[in-house]
Amino acid sequence: MAILEVEHICKSFDRTEVLKDISFSLEEGQVLSIIGSSGSGKTTLLRCLNFLERPDSGVIRVCGETLFDGQKQMSLQESEIRKKRLHFGLVFQSFHLFPQYTALQNVMLAKELLAKEQPDYKVRKKEIYEEIRVLAEELLRQMGLTDRMQNYPHQLSGGQCQRVAIARALALRPDILCFDEPTSALDPELTGEVLKVMKELAQQKTTMIIVTHEMAFARDVASHVIFMDDGYILEQGTPRQVFEESHEERTRQFLSRFTQG
Amino acid sequence: MKKLIAVMLAGVMTAAMVTGCGGSADDSAQTAADTQEDTTQEQETDNTAADEAVNTETEAQEPADEDAEAAGDSDLAYVQGKGTLVVGITDFEPMDYKDESGNWIGFDADTASAFAKSLGVEVEFVEIDWDNKIMELDGKTIDCVWNGMTLTDEVKSAMECSNAYCNNAQIVIVPQDKAEQYQTADNLTELTFAVEAGSAGEAEVTALGAEFTPVKTQADALMEVAAGSSDAAVIDSLMAAAMVGEGTGYANLTYTVQLNSEEYGVGFRKGSDLAEALNAFFVTSYEDGSLVQTAETYGVQAAVIEQK
Amino acid sequence: MELMLEQMPIVIRSLNVGFLQTLKLFFVTLLGAVPLGLVIAFGSMSRFRPISYLTKIVVWIIRGTPLMIQLLIIYYFPGLVFGTPIWGGGESGRFLAASVSFIFNYACYFSEIYRGGIQSVPVGQEEAGLVLGMTRSQIFFKVTLLQMIKRIVPPMSNEIITLVKDTSLARIIALQEIIWAGQAFMKGSQGISGAIWPMFFTAVYYLIFSGILTVVLGRLEKKLDYFR
Repeated sequence: MAILEVEHICKSFDRTEVLKDISFSLEEGQVLSIIGSSGSGKTTLLRCLNFLERPDSGVIRVCGETLFDGQKQMSLQESEIRKKRLHFGLVFQSFHLFPQYTALQNVMLAKELLAKEQPDYKVRKKEIYEEIRVLAEELLRQMGLTDRMQNYPHQLSGGQCQRVAIARALALRPDILCFDEPTSALDPELTGEVLKVMKELAQQKTTMIIVTHEMAFARDVASHVIFMDDGYILEQGTPRQVFEESHEERTRQFLSRFTQG
Repeated sequence: MKKLIAVMLAGVMTAAMVTGCGGSADDSAQTAADTQEDTTQEQETDNTAADEAVNTETEAQEPADEDAEAAGDSDLAYVQGKGTLVVGITDFEPMDYKDESGNWIGFDADTASAFAKSLGVEVEFVEIDWDNKIMELDGKTIDCVWNGMTLTDEVKSAMECSNAYCNNAQIVIVPQDKAEQYQTADNLTELTFAVEAGSAGEAEVTALGAEFTPVKTQADALMEVAAGSSDAAVIDSLMAAAMVGEGTGYANLTYTVQLNSEEYGVGFRKGSDLAEALNAFFVTSYEDGSLVQTAETYGVQAAVIEQK
Repeated sequence: MELMLEQMPIVIRSLNVGFLQTLKLFFVTLLGAVPLGLVIAFGSMSRFRPISYLTKIVVWIIRGTPLMIQLLIIYYFPGLVFGTPIWGGGESGRFLAASVSFIFNYACYFSEIYRGGIQSVPVGQEEAGLVLGMTRSQIFFKVTLLQMIKRIVPPMSNEIITLVKDTSLARIIALQEIIWAGQAFMKGSQGISGAIWPMFFTAVYYLIFSGILTVVLGRLEKKLDYFR
């Protein structure tokens, strides 16, 4: 069974239609790459999945559970939306780390706050804190940041910041981890270290949706590729299908700019 | 919400009136009097409106209501009802000032205490900003102004005043080394003056036709002379006696020409029956000698006016 | 000079009493205006239009009119217009009226600083909190607040130092703060009259106090320097 099913999602801002009838599905452990030029609706799609935007219509299902259905009156209560959000993690283009916390605290914060809602929190306070700290340290180590845990974001390079952000998103163990152009804000020599950890995550069968301009990476890592143009899904399939056997003229045009450049 | 806006607008407008009349010195006396009349009228309309509201609410018990209204109009009843007479003063030796333990004494303070006692209420002295004395009265934050207040036409039109109880004069203050040249009123126009804005002194200097700067208090006027920014000042003679000359802070100033003679009175809210009550008290305390006796304590007995 | 030394103890005692009143008004205003300003800031940022308009109008009126007029209106209006002097004529009533005026006035100024502070925190911070499953109040207290505080410390320091000196305005409703106490000796009080120096001496009090505040607020600013 598909872990994520998206059916007929539409979204417009004022009168501009940004997403037009978007449907796709994703199997557990797969990596989906979304490519396309700027303004094609890729980021909006990710924001809809993470409930930062509300689609106008369509259905979103995760593990068979309907999170959003434009035809049904879904609960708008904050607590409900919060629960739904936790199926997804999101790594932003410009990190959005919390500047007043160290790398370790950034990774721990959300988990600690969630833990406070557990009924046995008061009794096991210290124990829970320790568990979260061990988990956070393990994640940062995995990201290659063993000696950076106590640094504040402004003391870290862009690539290190983005790796902290990935650890922060992983700490909540989301079903699907989304990346919104994770390397676009980085200096070229720093993209490698971020792509490397993402590749490791793919090898560990982490379900991911990656919006990216790194074509080589998408082709290499993705199990499935979507090409978006002007709010539509113009083409989707395996990397081979999209990159080498594309049906659409528009897709070839787009891809040629990358291979030449 | 509408009400709130209405109140706010009323606030801003009245504020504009208040500042409007305080702004310019030359015509402030006239404007102040005008504004005061306006305010009083406004208040009267307000009261009527309030009374009407009360009437419609309690039509059933009319006789009782009339009694209540009569009591409501009497300032004496209001003061006796709350049990204190709040006296607005400034620190003004020898009329109102603090003794070493911080109690208010002076000719005015002692007389006010005695008057309050005769009414069967406590006396409470409150230091006020002299500029705001009429607002304090009408706003009922004080019940009377009892602080060596000269009875001018403006004062009389803005407050219900008692009979005069003490003589005063406006007197010219100059530096000691200039005193020789200015012993008569003839050549005073050569000098530039500092006077308290809206004071009797300002009226006298205006009458003289001399150039002058209005300042906030009589003390400021003295400071102007001491600092040399004005040549001379005009202040109350009772104050001059206490503040100028040998052994005071202004040892190198002296007083020369007396410009007029005037009288002190006590001010109440417009239409207050407390003025009548005070006049009666003045008569009895003058007759039994206690008023003059109090005056002697503070060395102003020569200035006390006979009460009958 | 000798005279001045003689007068010194009396004057200092009197100025101390006045300065105590100044300090009281200062701290009461801060205590009231710091939280009230936050409430007003949220009001003016409210997505419910009537509330945001109303608070914006109130802030406009309070910031657009002199504090001195507000003091006069708040203290004298209840008695003048409605015939009920709610504050009373005594010292405590005047202090209460002055406190209310100052708290309200400064809360409005603070609210605009807060609003600027909150809005200067990037939207991304809130969104990052949201996708991590935090509630809006958790995001405000755990993420936004400290960043906002860091940004508002310099402008707030400015307002706070101004407040120290603004307290002297309260003497318009005869609150006897330190300048009133100093001025009294010009007119004559406690056997000292025509003394000008006590008035100027009050400046020393202001200077020392604002000096202490400058140091304290500077430390706070430094303390928040650990992040950017």
